[in-house]
Amino acid sequence: MTNAREPAELRAALGETIVGQEGVIEALLLALLANGHVLLEGPPGLAKTLACRSLAAGLEGEFKRIQFTPDLLPSDIVGTRIFDQRESAFATVLGPIFANVVLADEINRAPAKVQSALLEAMQERQVTIGPQTYELPDPFVVMATMNPLDSEGTYALPIAQMDRFLMKVNVGYPSREEELRILDRFAVADTRPLRAVATLDDVRGWRAQAHGVHIDEKLKRYIVELVATTRSAQDVSVRSLSGAAFNVAELIDYGASPRATLALAFLARGRAMLAGRDFALPDDVRAIAAHALRHRIGFNYRLIAEGVDADSAIDAIVASVPAP
Amino acid sequence: MLAGLLAAAGGAGQAQALQRLTVDSFDLSADTASPKVDVPFHLLVRLRVRQHVTQIENLNLPMLAQVELLGDDRETLGSSRGTLYRETITVVAHVAGPMAIAPATLQAIDARDGRAKQWYTNGLTLRIAANGAPAAAASLQFALRVLLLILGIAAVLAVMAVAVMFARRPRAIAPPPVVVEAPPETPLPVVRTQWDVARDALAVLRAERTRAAAVTVRGSIWRMVGASEGETLGDVLRRPDSSDPPMRSLLVALERSAFTYDDDLRAAIDDAGFALERFIETAP
Repeated sequence: MTNAREPAELRAALGETIVGQEGVIEALLLALLANGHVLLEGPPGLAKTLACRSLAAGLEGEFKRIQFTPDLLPSDIVGTRIFDQRESAFATVLGPIFANVVLADEINRAPAKVQSALLEAMQERQVTIGPQTYELPDPFVVMATMNPLDSEGTYALPIAQMDRFLMKVNVGYPSREEELRILDRFAVADTRPLRAVATLDDVRGWRAQAHGVHIDEKLKRYIVELVATTRSAQDVSVRSLSGAAFNVAELIDYGASPRATLALAFLARGRAMLAGRDFALPDDVRAIAAHALRHRIGFNYRLIAEGVDADSAIDAIVASVPAP
Repeated sequence: MLAGLLAAAGGAGQAQALQRLTVDSFDLSADTASPKVDVPFHLLVRLRVRQHVTQIENLNLPMLAQVELLGDDRETLGSSRGTLYRETITVVAHVAGPMAIAPATLQAIDARDGRAKQWYTNGLTLRIAANGAPAAAASLQFALRVLLLILGIAAVLAVMAVAVMFARRPRAIAPPPVVVEAPPETPLPVVRTQWDVARDALAVLRAERTRAAAVTVRGSIWRMVGASEGETLGDVLRRPDSSDPPMRSLLVALERSAFTYDDDLRAAIDDAGFALERFIETAP
């Protein structure tokens, strides 16, 4: 590790601002290191906006928040061309997607056309407005949120679109102790603004370092085996909430794509780097497996009908593959 | 077959999870005493117990750092006398010379007295022969056969001559009876502690500073702390047997040697060796 500033410093700084939510903080940092995007699912009020804003502040980067609504248009995200009467010419106004950290709040509230515009920009890292193509800033991380509680009037993201997110993280409520700390911290004033602990150049350096983290052949095979098992989980069983056992293969329509294989490797590298290692371990893969697989496995209706928790099925798949 | 009390090896905490067995025999053998380089051969672990069981748990194979593991076939045969468990390990050696194979171990509760014990097979010493060209080997075999034939004829003639001489001589006085000393008693069971396993592991790492040896040693130490196949370092570190700082350092160092990049391998193995030494120093 040659950089003067380490990603662990940024993690510590974020931890000082955000109480609990280590999973969200780690997900953001991993997305940053792996040059990917994060999909967060959880109820409102869990510091998702604060986490994004703090990340941007910690990097001296630009933060933008887009609230997705049914009447949103693609141009509201990427930008548009307006006619300047004084100059008698069209001028381009760049949309809020031109930022280093973008929070796409409640992404499933906008119609498919808008979702598609965002996801295409996430993939291509460039936007075409009229005749001109504009590069998005680097680093560029999108954190999209979905609220699982209020699904009326929403447009579910197709699996093919969700596959573009590097990881999907389920955000839970804080523990009682964490909630007490939140109460103490925010009782007097609003959140303390996060001091900048790194620069955007540092992030580019970290990314190059993360890319060089070694993944042993045994670990590569383990990753491939994990993803392959999502496609043929005949020997894996899981218990429903009522305690009945089910074959996981019967609950899955289709398994994870090769993008999941790549995501597991990227995330394992990032996690190893966050731990100060330049080689990844089976523990790194295990720790992030659910995040990389959760949104890439097509569970069928039986999963819900039989009362089986999707994460329990993924855990069963992961547990069924022996680590090297 | 040797048996030692497991409690002495620091494994009493696992006793509840052990199988209850009456061990009749437990041995290790090879299908050849002088395997050849790059020619696969088999090691056979045989365990006979009086109980009827479908599988044997907590049987640890010997460390096989000096050979490449090609396959592992397990078979459990039931009979009126109990169960015969056979594990056939197919291996191949790539380097000529003497090779010592440590004993396989079994941890179980002895059904005779209800105590947790560890059984050991015999160890094996094999001589790996260089694999010469087939023509040279054939000519050598032919020469050996001729030599054996000549020696055989000479031996038969000598026996006949001695028989004729005995038939012609007068009856001799019967010689005094030869006192045959009783064979030495079987040595008392040697308790192999976790430090013994660590010493073996250190010897393996010193003899062979390769990734394969590091992975083998890692597996051996993991079995020592009761970890099963397929667990990760995180799982192993959560085990009570892994709570001591020297053991934790050892497990972390071995994990590094198993997964680090090639340029770091020698340093990682050095660290693992150092961690093993520090662990061995904690022996009572």
